Amino acid sequence: MNVLNYVAQRVVTLIPTLIGLVILTFFLSRVVPADPAALIAGEGASRQQIEALRQRYGFDQPLLTQLGIYLAQLATGNLGTSIYTGRPVLTDLRERFPATLELTLVSIALATLLGIPLGMFAALKHNSWLDHSLRACTTAGLAITGFWLAIMLQLFFSMELDLFPLGGRIGVPEPRALTGFFLLDALLSLNGTAFLSALKHITLPALTLAYPAFATIARFTRSGVLDVMQRDFILYEKAMGLPHLLITFKYLLRNALTSTVAQIGLLFGSLLAGAVVTEQVYDWPGLGLYAVESIMKFDYQATLGITLWAGVAYGAVNLMVELAQAIIDPRVVRR
Amino acid sequence: MKPMVLNTRMQAETTAPRVRYFPHRLWPVPSGWWLLGQKILRDRLAVVGLCILLGLLSTAVLAPSLAPFPEDITATHPAQRLRAPSWEHPLGTDTLGRDIYSRLLFGGRLTLIISCTVVGVCMAIGVPTGLIAGYYENAVSQLILRLADIFLAVPRVILALAMAQALGPSLPNLILALTVTYWPWFTLIVVAETRTVKKATFVEATEALGVRPWRTILYHVLPNVLSPLIVRSTLSMGLTIMTAAVLGFLGMGAQPPAPEWGAMIAEARLYLPDALWYATAPGLAIFLVVMGFNLLGDALRDILDPRLRRGRR
Amino acid sequence: MAVQHIVPQWQRRTFLKGAGLGVLAASGLTALQPLCPQSWAAGERTRFVSTWNAPDILDPHVKYDVGAAAFNLNLYDNLLRYHGNPPEIVPWLAETHEITDDGRKWIFHLRRDATFHDGSALTAEAVSFSFARLLTLGKGPSAIFKRMGLTPETIRVLDPYTIEFQLAQPFGPFRMAIPIVSIVNPALIKAHEQNGDWAEPWLAQNEAGSGAYRLVKFDQATGFLMERFPEFWGGWREKHIDEVEIRVIREQSSRTLALMKGDVHMIETLLGADQLEKLEKHPRIKVIPYESMRFFVIRMHNQRPPFTDINVRKAFSYAFNYKSFIEDLMKGRVVRNPVPIPRPLWSYPTDLPGYEYDLDKAKAYLAKATVKINRPIEVHVQAPLEPTVQAALLFQSDLAKLGIELKIVKSMFPTIVASTKTVESTPDMWIHWISTYFVDPENWIGEMYDSANGGTWKASSWYKNPQVDALLGRARSILEQEERTKLYAEACRLVVEDAPDLWVYNTIEYVPLAKNVQGFQFSLVGSGQEFWPLYFDPRA
Repeated sequence: MNVLNYVAQRVVTLIPTLIGLVILTFFLSRVVPADPAALIAGEGASRQQIEALRQRYGFDQPLLTQLGIYLAQLATGNLGTSIYTGRPVLTDLRERFPATLELTLVSIALATLLGIPLGMFAALKHNSWLDHSLRACTTAGLAITGFWLAIMLQLFFSMELDLFPLGGRIGVPEPRALTGFFLLDALLSLNGTAFLSALKHITLPALTLAYPAFATIARFTRSGVLDVMQRDFILYEKAMGLPHLLITFKYLLRNALTSTVAQIGLLFGSLLAGAVVTEQVYDWPGLGLYAVESIMKFDYQATLGITLWAGVAYGAVNLMVELAQAIIDPRVVRR
Repeated sequence: MKPMVLNTRMQAETTAPRVRYFPHRLWPVPSGWWLLGQKILRDRLAVVGLCILLGLLSTAVLAPSLAPFPEDITATHPAQRLRAPSWEHPLGTDTLGRDIYSRLLFGGRLTLIISCTVVGVCMAIGVPTGLIAGYYENAVSQLILRLADIFLAVPRVILALAMAQALGPSLPNLILALTVTYWPWFTLIVVAETRTVKKATFVEATEALGVRPWRTILYHVLPNVLSPLIVRSTLSMGLTIMTAAVLGFLGMGAQPPAPEWGAMIAEARLYLPDALWYATAPGLAIFLVVMGFNLLGDALRDILDPRLRRGRR
Repeated sequence: MAVQHIVPQWQRRTFLKGAGLGVLAASGLTALQPLCPQSWAAGERTRFVSTWNAPDILDPHVKYDVGAAAFNLNLYDNLLRYHGNPPEIVPWLAETHEITDDGRKWIFHLRRDATFHDGSALTAEAVSFSFARLLTLGKGPSAIFKRMGLTPETIRVLDPYTIEFQLAQPFGPFRMAIPIVSIVNPALIKAHEQNGDWAEPWLAQNEAGSGAYRLVKFDQATGFLMERFPEFWGGWREKHIDEVEIRVIREQSSRTLALMKGDVHMIETLLGADQLEKLEKHPRIKVIPYESMRFFVIRMHNQRPPFTDINVRKAFSYAFNYKSFIEDLMKGRVVRNPVPIPRPLWSYPTDLPGYEYDLDKAKAYLAKATVKINRPIEVHVQAPLEPTVQAALLFQSDLAKLGIELKIVKSMFPTIVASTKTVESTPDMWIHWISTYFVDPENWIGEMYDSANGGTWKASSWYKNPQVDALLGRARSILEQEERTKLYAEACRLVVEDAPDLWVYNTIEYVPLAKNVQGFQFSLVGSGQEFWPLYFDPRA
């Protein structure tokens, strides 16, 4: 009951935030140096045509009216039409979303599978060589800029050693579209070449994104475990003779992971909005690339759409994280 | 008004006799900069971080004298383009024949200016708004919190990019965009700390004594909020540098020929894999500087704010 | 309190074993790499991969630029087409044509065997419909036709395979401009039309053509795929390409590497000198040079101070280091072109030397100038196209020696084009190329310096000279090439004297191709992106 109330409370506060976000981005995207009507009209359009377009899209109306129109549109689920693709923004977003989601899932999975065990062992073997090297690794991971890491990985593993492809999502004809995730689709349709190609293509981008995520997750796991390890109840359980395995995995980890779970959620949320520069470097056709392209091309409808999407995604993931935290640690709800 | 003197509770938490208790603080703080310095120097990683930052500072200040080719900020020598590292050009030359090492040093200046300005302005915004939002619980405070939430709802890079694009790419606009992107964090930190401090008995006591709220905020709450804020600021310097580099990489930062590190990496991409020093050098520079801030920030956090120990022990 | 080692020995070993297995698995995967073919030179269906800047929109009546040639030339047909270098107009859909009434009436006779991809016959009706669509939509490619006063009413269908164009007055470049127009399938357009939009949103993602290839798949983010249209009227030789993929690769260095690795077979012709050198040395790649007609120009806003003063413009013209730019930055792979007509074109005046780099002369002109430069001058460059940035940087450092501050603003072509619509929003300076949209001096000097064209990107220097207007107008309205040459030469001389812009170099297009690609035909218009004659030679 308390948990449900808590979640409901959170959802209620999310909505005005999103509306505020729309308003903010709306004004941001209208403060453009280029004339949006001229951009849509394209080269060679006459002045009359630009005027006609201006009227058709409503650019000649005062900004508040335009905002009102946009909000009304939004209420019906219409995110507007992109200037450059000529398609509804929602369609564009839906098309690009699986690529980003696939990359995000693989990166987070990688980071978690490596980060939690390593963080845990580093904490359990405090001040050992493993601990020190992990700390060095994670400190480096937090200081490295994503795009530089991407470029360096591309340089060494793709250009010099030719182990992995330079970019893109797949190099052979795509597998049958069942879920939109190439890896899954290839497995489901038993397409070996597609699976291998998709795997090779996703490796470098996933590593680029996973490394900083891994650093954060490992750090938080380590400190969480260290924290909990010194609590009295662990000593008590050891004194009672409970098996080490049980203590470690059931009691220790569960208590230690609350902040880590929060971090994983935050990372997931921010990656879901599109890992902008990684997608740029690797030509990964996801939302990050779409965001950069629409911003750079002054495609204001698409910019609004993607920002709104990012806000929703981030908010939704945060919500789920808080829910998860509430389940793991009911004390959160009481606070 | 003289600070309040509290007794029993504080003294029970004594650890080292040398530490003097400032009566209006919640937890023991080493007295004096000397002690702080000593504590920092005892931690090896913090020393490394400090050295890196001092290095950055000194190269930024001394850049004109340290750089072998200071005119290469604007001058071009197309005949000497893309030379490999040599004695004359320690890091080689770029696509227009300019010395990369010199440009790197001047780029350090740019980096320092950007990050210090952004963090400074964010603190200037964050502290007052955070104090007000944390101490009071009225409509104004709700408004501030909502605003912060709204700005936080967008991923950092997208917001900064959209702002920079809307305002037009240039150095001042980059700083503005980054400030707008990062101010909510500072505000929310201050809010959290203010709320914690507010719960302390001595604040209740000041209220009971009839001390006006603004005095309480200024003299009693603020000093206690500053320590965690300084820690977070140091850590966020690293983040602002990285975001500034991303924007520079995308072409939204300082415009050419400014030797911004992110922009240099973007230029260099075209010449990979041959001219690999061209892309590696600025990236390493960014890495070192951010690492320096992170290490120092970690050390400060351990010393000034033991409650927050996360990831270091 | 000391930390206890909770983890017993065997747990640690299990972890290490797992890690070891993981590493083995990863290396195993990479070892399996040779199983994945990276190019499909052999096999049942041959696929050719090209990576130009892939277009966002596939509508030939909306987009007509170098990138659009990938679909214009392959998915669609036109009445006449450019082949070869130097380019010649060859009959394509129109087997023959006549010009009567002193150049005012043009009659085209179509071939009978052309069909659209859906099987319907391509008749004069379709041609008339396509022109009507082009003119009504009024986008980029329609500009030249509108200038000659062509309207849908002046196009008459005489019989199913004959079509007549009536011009208000003779227009020299008309024949040269005809290849711009692609013929679309009226039935498909009408089927997808909504509210009189001529199916514009639909055609942006689909095709309605008759060309040698038909569209299989289009994805904005990754490019598009075409496959052979077996019933193409031009017929197919025994050796041909079954599929063509236009793939999006954003970074130029990645494209170069993809070509070297064999992932793609052709990349764009606008590479920098460094990339070209790398490619030329590669054993499996051939780089073929063709002198193109595409010159590089630095524009100045003639109606905004300080460029309103001819002395300032001349000073700038003398301040750019043409030689160093061409020899050092472009590594001598381009040719100096000091006038607004490309060198290989028939009206090029060989006796005009133009301007050269001379800072002293520049200083002298600045001293004579009545308009003082007291603000930074902005030059807008196209961020993804490196030569524009390099030119700006070079110019910046030389102008600094004259005490002039040049501010570089990174932008993109569509944005700058949109800003050239009005005098107020046009930037002080910008840098771009002018490609061959059709092979006639009108494409360059005509559209750049006739003051009636103000508001278009080609005329973004806002130059106004009634004498030049008169000369250009006359040259446009006659058909005899010799007469036109004289007029264009005179106009050129006047324009160069006025120094409204800086004309820097003419491009040599280096086409990087995989060595086993044969049958390649380069034509200026479209930069050789017609894939119909290509085939793979497995022996090469």
